[in-house]
Amino acid sequence: MTNLLHNIGYFFREAKTIVRLNLLSNMVSLISTGLIFFILAMVVAGWWISIDVIEVIQGEAEINVYFDESLNAADLQDLIKGIGSIEGVREVRLVDEKEAYARMEEILGEEARVLEFFEDNPFNPFIEVKIHLEQITSILEKLTSTQDVAYVRDNQEILERLRSLSRVLEFSGYLAAVAVGISTLVIVSHMIRLEIYNNREQINTLRLLGAPESFIGLPFLIVGILLTLSGGLVAASMSHLVLNQIYAQMAGPLPFIPLPPFAAFARKLAALIILLSIGLGLTGSLVGLSSEKGN
Amino acid sequence: MIEAKDVSLRYPDGTTALTNISLRIEPGEIVYITGPSGSGKTSFLKLLMGIEYPSSGSLQVLGQTMSKDQAAVIRQLRMQMGPVFQEFKLIKGRTALENVVMGMRFLGLPTKQIYEDACIALAKVGLEHKSLAYVENLSWGETQRVAIARAIARKPALILADEPTGNLDVENALNIMDLLTSLKDEKTAIIITTHATHLIDSSTEGKLLQMETGSICWERLGSV
Repeated sequence: MTNLLHNIGYFFREAKTIVRLNLLSNMVSLISTGLIFFILAMVVAGWWISIDVIEVIQGEAEINVYFDESLNAADLQDLIKGIGSIEGVREVRLVDEKEAYARMEEILGEEARVLEFFEDNPFNPFIEVKIHLEQITSILEKLTSTQDVAYVRDNQEILERLRSLSRVLEFSGYLAAVAVGISTLVIVSHMIRLEIYNNREQINTLRLLGAPESFIGLPFLIVGILLTLSGGLVAASMSHLVLNQIYAQMAGPLPFIPLPPFAAFARKLAALIILLSIGLGLTGSLVGLSSEKGN
Repeated sequence: MIEAKDVSLRYPDGTTALTNISLRIEPGEIVYITGPSGSGKTSFLKLLMGIEYPSSGSLQVLGQTMSKDQAAVIRQLRMQMGPVFQEFKLIKGRTALENVVMGMRFLGLPTKQIYEDACIALAKVGLEHKSLAYVENLSWGETQRVAIARAIARKPALILADEPTGNLDVENALNIMDLLTSLKDEKTAIIITTHATHLIDSSTEGKLLQMETGSICWERLGSV
């Protein structure tokens, strides 16, 4: 160990020499790694944005509870309190007739004139219940069995679809991240094996001189990590530029899509890609080295 | 230091490289192994370095039994050896000094001492002025001397030189032989294989082993 620490400067110089001696091949490796990390960054960005959007939409998931209109104010307060205490309910609010009318006007827009044909306000007051979507089934069971509840409008079908979409997005996100991660690992380990092949005479000589495997392997490990880290940095810069463009494009025609704040999002993505590039570089190099051991 | 008892070496394809080799080499000895191509000289050096293992018989080098199940220990044993390979095996893209230093970095010596010893070794072979030259820019003879410098800088207990005079003219070959024999001290044994018997005359000090078809056919002790 002390021997390795004494030689740390040598390992970095040797790594530099290995890169210099096969500059073209290493540049190609760097570009390939950069591109694959860029794809990974885009997949992760798409995944994160989708999850963020779904979360925002899920946050809007609500159930409307219509109650017996003969209830007095105290009983109504008790009912609201009771609904609020159900597990999975995030927020409960009473929407009176006037607010219900105003909301419909807003929804109908120019068509709201149709409401003028009614002599009285046709809308009933209701209790707006915001929920955690994953607990919708148990909440509905409890609501329908609650006394004084006349009718529950649950939009269950839409909410279920939303939930499925969220699951699919999450699963495909993991799948894509794992697939790109494995590809990176394979490419990096292959790259290291290529480096080892290109330097096989040197490795063989060092073995004949009695050099330990750790001494022989460390410069290659450093090369692997440096190449993937450089690829990660290239990918982080490229994805920053591309995301900036995407945000600018979406702000115009699709302003209703709730994107996460750009600066924090880009920082988080860059940090992930750089950490992954180091981790995958290290793992790929170790895989490459161990597969070449003894050859 | 080296003790071989009825050592034979057969390659997996059935070729017999060595048959019943028995010998003993003590510290401070110089041993010349001569013989035509294919007589088993290089195979014997391979056994001593642990590149091959005896098919039968027993071989001890620097107190270590050379067998396949001891491969990890034998790898460490190589740190006490100074090999000079037939094809030099210098590392391209590095200077002469870097090549010598590279062979010493894992020996556990302080960096300053490594560089000092490497410079001394290069001076011994007369290449101090070429220490910063890339090895691919050196002549054949100079490359040969860098390989020797790399071997001696490690202060090995055993120097193994495989055909160190191969492809050199007589004058340069004699210089290399003189250089190698000058490295003799009471702790270091030197084994030199060569087919150039004309370089070894009666004034040459050391033990001479003549090999033919994998066996030692005669040996002379003392002054050759």
